[in-house]
Amino acid sequence: MSGWMTVALKETRDHLRDYRSLRSAAIYSLMGPVVILLVAQSPAAAKGGTPLLLSMMSVFALVAAFTGGMYLALDATAGERDRGSLVPLLLNPISSLHLVIGKWIAVAVFAVAGLVVTLAGFTAVFEWSGIEPPAGTTGPMLLWTICGLVPVALLGAALHLLTGVASQTLKDAQARLSIVTLVPMMTGMFLVFFPGTIGQWWFAIPVIGPQALIGEALRGHAVSLLQAVTLAFLTLAATAAVLLAAGRVMSRTEIAAA
Amino acid sequence: MVEVTDLHMHFGAVRALTGVSFVARDGAITGLLGANGAGKTTTLNIISGLCEPMHGSVAVDGRPAGDPFDRRRHVGALLDDKGLYPRLTARENVAYYGALRGFSGGELTRRVQRALAAVGIESLADRRTHGFSQGERMKVALARAIVHEPRNLILDEPTNGLDVPSARAFKNTLSRMREHGVCIVFSSHLIHDVSTLCDSVVIISRGRTVAHGEPEHLCRQTKCRTLEEAFLALTGHEEEATCLAG
Repeated sequence: MSGWMTVALKETRDHLRDYRSLRSAAIYSLMGPVVILLVAQSPAAAKGGTPLLLSMMSVFALVAAFTGGMYLALDATAGERDRGSLVPLLLNPISSLHLVIGKWIAVAVFAVAGLVVTLAGFTAVFEWSGIEPPAGTTGPMLLWTICGLVPVALLGAALHLLTGVASQTLKDAQARLSIVTLVPMMTGMFLVFFPGTIGQWWFAIPVIGPQALIGEALRGHAVSLLQAVTLAFLTLAATAAVLLAAGRVMSRTEIAAA
Repeated sequence: MVEVTDLHMHFGAVRALTGVSFVARDGAITGLLGANGAGKTTTLNIISGLCEPMHGSVAVDGRPAGDPFDRRRHVGALLDDKGLYPRLTARENVAYYGALRGFSGGELTRRVQRALAAVGIESLADRRTHGFSQGERMKVALARAIVHEPRNLILDEPTNGLDVPSARAFKNTLSRMREHGVCIVFSSHLIHDVSTLCDSVVIISRGRTVAHGEPEHLCRQTKCRTLEEAFLALTGHEEEATCLAG
């Protein structure tokens, strides 16, 4: 078995035993559906109607995709350093990039799983509340999920790893990650409140793109397959770049450890 | 066998190594003795493949090992950091490192079992390492370092923090490995550990080797009765070395 796969399997097995983190991640993933459920009962929501609830959902889904693997990323990077297991790990004949890729696979698995839980929660809430998406939005919503949210989950996993690898301690990493997590939150909220600012090229920007995509669909504008595929491709390219950067930072860690 | 030749290493303005050379033989424990900051840890980090020297070379088992990956393959190391994964069992901790070194299936299982047996921690093998005592953690860390059955073992102050029974058990493990022909390089600033355990001693002071030989040889060379006094005499603390003062 290749080194990166060994790392990925170990990190997955290890994290599956971290019940506290799993509970926190599950609560985080279900936070959006629960909020939508509560808002859907209010008279104000009845006035705003389905588009308002769907806009809120898109922000929660974006944040869930971005943060789903955060706990594991922290534990697999800054956590290694804190418990003194990083240097022994670096003494194995495996390259820093392979170590990072192995950890990223595990983090990405949990990030996508968190996203799936969130989307399943939204589906259940919409079914239960009788909320129907506007006609003609099923296709764009699928594109939004596959080409927008899933790549964001992969990019978020890579960004969290880079942040963790670049941090000196677990506390340092937590402080930095709280800032990184603001990026999708602020982006999502901005585009909900200022939808008119969306330009044609916004669809191509990772993290912003999914929100631009779903916003246009909910306003009844056309969303092309090319736009969605371009967004997915560019988000995956950004993910690869972040992983390479994390591998380089990890290499420097070897020198620093020495 | 580990041959270290004229290692130099700087960290910014700090000259960590300015000429460390020695040979550590198979089936022998070679002790690196030096004051804090003398360069012992940097030397061991280079031998283990954690970093590259700016000048000088390391040969492992007679082969020049310029590539740090090559050294990592042929050396087992237990350096300052000995952290384990608390949610994994002792066996899983050791197996993870075995798998990272390319072993799988029955071969991996056998090697893990042998490593656990070598350090005498089989009875705790299937318990998660969370809550292990310092001595138990040290044994698992050592099993992890020897799972690939290296011919060369590098240890950086391994008895630090161990109680007397654990330190004794650990030293017995090292003695058994020496009997099996393993080349062990052992750093310590505990003279007692070095004088009782090591066949050969390398004294490092201010980043360079100042003496190398059997403890008795170093005592004769300095006309001192004990290794401690010989160490003080050789590292520039003549005023504290009563053998020379007398």
